[in-house]
Amino acid sequence: MRVGLRLLELARERRARAIFVVGTGKNVGKTTALLAMYEAAWRSGFRVGLASIGPKTGLRLHSNTVFVTARPLLAPSPAVEILKISDIESSAGSLLYARTAHDGLYDLAGPSSASGLRAAIEHVANRSDIVLIDGAIDRLATLASGDGAIVVSCGAAAAKTESEAVCDVATLTARLRVPLFDSRAAAVELEGALTATMAAEFIAAGEERQIVVGDSTQIVMSGRSLSEALARLRVRCRRALDVIATTVCAVAPERSFDPGPFLDAVAGATKLPSFDVFAGREAA
Amino acid sequence: MRRLELLDAATAELLGFDWLVNAVAPISPYGSRLFSELVPFRPGNERAAESRARQIAEIAERLPSDQVSAVRSLLEQLPDVVGAVARASLGEPLDDPGFFELRLFCEMVERVDASPAAGALGQRISSEATRTVLEALAPGRREAAGFYLSDAFDAELAAARGAYAQAQAEVDAARGREVERVARELGREEVAGDEFIVMRSDLRGTLPQGVRVVRESATYLLCALEYGESSQAALQRREAAFGRMGALEERVRLHLTSVARAHAAGLGAAARALGELDVSLGAARFSQVHHCTAPVVIREPALTFERARFLPLEAELTVAGRRYVPIDLDLRGAAVLTGPNMGGKSLALQTCGFLALCAAFGLPVPAAQARVGLFDQIAWLGTGLRERSGGLLSSFAREVTALKDILARMAPRLLIFVDEFARTTTPHEGKAIVVALTERLRQRKACALLATHLQGVAAAAGVAHFAVRGLKGIRTLPAARDLKGALDALADSMDYTIAKVGGDEAPQADAIALAALLGLDSEFVEAAYRALSQ
Repeated sequence: MRVGLRLLELARERRARAIFVVGTGKNVGKTTALLAMYEAAWRSGFRVGLASIGPKTGLRLHSNTVFVTARPLLAPSPAVEILKISDIESSAGSLLYARTAHDGLYDLAGPSSASGLRAAIEHVANRSDIVLIDGAIDRLATLASGDGAIVVSCGAAAAKTESEAVCDVATLTARLRVPLFDSRAAAVELEGALTATMAAEFIAAGEERQIVVGDSTQIVMSGRSLSEALARLRVRCRRALDVIATTVCAVAPERSFDPGPFLDAVAGATKLPSFDVFAGREAA
Repeated sequence: MRRLELLDAATAELLGFDWLVNAVAPISPYGSRLFSELVPFRPGNERAAESRARQIAEIAERLPSDQVSAVRSLLEQLPDVVGAVARASLGEPLDDPGFFELRLFCEMVERVDASPAAGALGQRISSEATRTVLEALAPGRREAAGFYLSDAFDAELAAARGAYAQAQAEVDAARGREVERVARELGREEVAGDEFIVMRSDLRGTLPQGVRVVRESATYLLCALEYGESSQAALQRREAAFGRMGALEERVRLHLTSVARAHAAGLGAAARALGELDVSLGAARFSQVHHCTAPVVIREPALTFERARFLPLEAELTVAGRRYVPIDLDLRGAAVLTGPNMGGKSLALQTCGFLALCAAFGLPVPAAQARVGLFDQIAWLGTGLRERSGGLLSSFAREVTALKDILARMAPRLLIFVDEFARTTTPHEGKAIVVALTERLRQRKACALLATHLQGVAAAAGVAHFAVRGLKGIRTLPAARDLKGALDALADSMDYTIAKVGGDEAPQADAIALAALLGLDSEFVEAAYRALSQ
């Protein structure tokens, strides 16, 4: 199956103009998933924009792709159209927006701040039909107010065992999919983050009202604490995030899982459409 | 703006130096560079200081504020090309972002020239250099502001790029055929990425030709697709085409860099002119916003003004919705200022200092009219300076040490503000010390204003005596008993006018009335009045 196209269709069904790919850790196939969607979008005739939260080197891009890069990373050839030089800084230098004129290898770079990332995505979105972002969980708040979708990647590189990897992605997607709060029901509105300590206090006090945070990135818990808090409290958010799918990468230099069962386990635990880009499969 | 030795950091803070710097700051990198090098006019440069202030005041008067804002918004968009031009002049090839900025710079120069404000000032910043560079870079225009090293720059570039695109298409086609074949033989719709997984359960027979196993396990194979002969041949052709295209692109860059290099001096001149315009417009905007006037800059150590304002406080009061009362003063040499608490003595000192600062930097001053001298040093002594707690020195000792430093510097032209100096020692000795200080400042021909509650200092030192008129109605309790109500009542009751009075005239004693206004109980207040009368 064409995984990139399928992911793109899922995002388009939600009318998402930006797709954020985040991972449970490093080397879990984020960029592979992103490039699969990029190829599918480009072949479908979309004007594609690309952004990244950090340097991403040597991506083969087609012509007419808008991307964000750092000035020092811009290769002299093939020449690109310089659209704007921004005053946003990244770890690789000041950022600029460019559009490819020819197929070739290009480097991406991204802003280090959430506000910078928001500005970069907006700029790219103005010149594209769809924006693909190689992102990170702590930058997801950028999408919370907009028309974005999230793909969560997980894999063997980020967990010691298959069950741990499945548990990690299930917990993360559960956190990201915290529902919107009900304005008619009683609520405890939090200004900042919901921590494990606060959650324990709410549970001990038998709190039954909605516990409302700004968006799910403000729930700063993981593992067992998070699953207990989500199970025993009515945690809600003011701005919901839209997680549309997961992707898996069953192989890593240090270990590998059986791809088929791993994919099915992730799909079962997350209740989301799940794909293995490397095997070209969707979970049953 | 650099204060250099004109005033120390503590005095600068009290006189609103940083506030002034922010208020007149330019907006472009060129203006900022020039602005950072501005130093105060020293005594002897009165004509130059006055001329600059007049020039700025004239710009502020001639140009509507919206025109000033319009040019400033253009200046704000200027990229900084100084570094790029310098590198080009040294023969270093510019990169495409450099050309983007250079063309934007030349375009902005044209737009600034075309603005009504520049027209009204009769200023033209564009030159043959900016026009030539703009023309040379014109083929790179895309969209509103984009730049691309387009085929129009070099006749051979189009052909080289065409060859590269053709070679890339051949690579895509050859590789696409290989990928399609492998996908078909594996029974899959697609093989994506450099590496892919093949489940052993899906594999019928052997792996397709060209597929290499990277890793294998009992259930799957991690595979990579090798490049076939036709793909490799296409890749080689593409690399050759890429090399030719890259060389031609670099040739265009070298040519464009040579144009920038040939006009480096003219571009530098345009950058300087933009900087000067920016600095002038920043100051003109300050003058417009704060209704300033050009001062007469005089050779004498004096400050004479009407309806002057200390802008940092006026801005604060405006935000708080309160009224600011401007003051008049004619300060020649040393003088004493007395008056009630909260009557504006310290503010009068700050106002004098602020006007002196504006004049020192050739700026219009916030006053209806002013005659202001230039100084080598502006100093503040006494209250208001940030107190350091602890240490070996008492507050009095610290004041004395500060005075010693000021006197030791022997600045030929000193402007000094003394606010309740020696207030922490015995009134008897404190007065003696203030009289001695006043005499010393008079002898040194310093311009000095000494605010004090001590009686008879002016007469004893033989200097002029100014006094704040003070509360108009004494012993009237306010209706409101909260602090805001008391401050409103105080503002209504206080006459902030500064008048010259006889040397021996006793300062008006409004402290008890003020205490009543601020809400001390009536029994306490009556007891204070009884004690005063005994």
